[in-house]
Amino acid sequence: MLASDVHFAKDLADALDIQRRRPGILVFAGGTDILREQGGRGISLPAELLCIQSIPELRRAGLTERFLEIGAAVTVAELLELGDSALPPLLAEAVRGIGTPAVRNLATLGGNISCRSRFMDSWPALACLDGLVELRDQGGATWMNVNRLLGEDGKPSVPVGGLLTRVRIPLDRWDVHALRKVGPRSYPTPETAVFAFAARAEKGILAEVRIAFAGEIGLRSQALESSIIGRSLPLSSREATSIAEGYKSLAEPLPEGLALQFGSLLDGALGLLSS
Amino acid sequence: MTVSFILNGEDVSAKARSVDRLSDLLREAFGLLGVRSDCRCGRCGRCLVFLDGRLVPSCIVPAFSVRGKEVVTIEGFAQTEDYREMVEGFAAAGVETCGFCEAPKIMAAAALLERTPRPLPREILEHTSSAPCRCTDPEAIVKAVQAVAELRARRLYRRAGQ
Repeated sequence: MLASDVHFAKDLADALDIQRRRPGILVFAGGTDILREQGGRGISLPAELLCIQSIPELRRAGLTERFLEIGAAVTVAELLELGDSALPPLLAEAVRGIGTPAVRNLATLGGNISCRSRFMDSWPALACLDGLVELRDQGGATWMNVNRLLGEDGKPSVPVGGLLTRVRIPLDRWDVHALRKVGPRSYPTPETAVFAFAARAEKGILAEVRIAFAGEIGLRSQALESSIIGRSLPLSSREATSIAEGYKSLAEPLPEGLALQFGSLLDGALGLLSS
Repeated sequence: MTVSFILNGEDVSAKARSVDRLSDLLREAFGLLGVRSDCRCGRCGRCLVFLDGRLVPSCIVPAFSVRGKEVVTIEGFAQTEDYREMVEGFAAAGVETCGFCEAPKIMAAAALLERTPRPLPREILEHTSSAPCRCTDPEAIVKAVQAVAELRARRLYRRAGQ
């Protein structure tokens, strides 16, 4: 157990300044990911912590005609309180699967996205919705698609340095969508994963499709999605089978049980395009 | 470090190390034994407290992070009219929870009713899942919380008429 030096940032500029002066400092907001694996008497934390939970700029959420923008320190409970009219259904369903209501009062969207040990519930939904995250450092802000958080090895690849400050979600129309959580719900285990699917049609043609699945490993292939786009709807059962075949190699890194569940969820989603 | 916060309505300060959990601080520095610290991972719900009005598992809250905030434990909540209504509603519905989950279930139900005065059964079951326990039939919990909602609605109606 290590006693930490805790720095409370009063605003964003202060947080960035602390981060610049102390590279490698651990950013702390809700703390649910950091503490969830620690069953002992005391908490084990790194030598230095940067508390961002009270930074006003990170606690705001706003809606424009084109997108929803959420501060990284907005809690999951606060996010759900925005209501179904503001929250894209796929994201609402995803974050409802996070922990228990009491845990959702602590857990933040930023923390859920930037977990390094595994993908948490929000990533597949945000990947399907083309979500962007803002990373800030003293040099300025960079917007990055959440897909870039999926490393080549299928594991989370959260950039080191900089502060995740905002999440921006385009409010595009999706004609069909589905989200399913498998495995234990309230507490992430190696068997827990989330499947997300969204599709849009234009004049009977599949115009956009997104398929993402993530637990300890994340799956998404824009190349496979592109190969489906442009087909006439409804898909024939032969087409659906051939698309599912294409995804089999993508699911190879998954443990057998999860690969089977992914296959059956994919079949269900493709079924939505076949009827 | 010294952490100053409001505890059950009073300004307090306590010495806390960065390794201390809020649940342990409340039990050891303030003798609030209604806050249990069993699973230490936020799952069992026996350590639930209100933090700035929000129900949270205090075992996954580092003590340092409550600086300047307001904490209400079951001991503080038990002094309120809301708590008395909860107990009355649970009794009216014939619900007897066990000693482990009674306080957290009551706090979870109170947190729900604060934001949703007429909750649906699925909302009640979801919110009371913050304090999971097999001692009571879930349907009985739904009836109890609905009974509390009714009592609360009547109280508010009486107040509005005064």
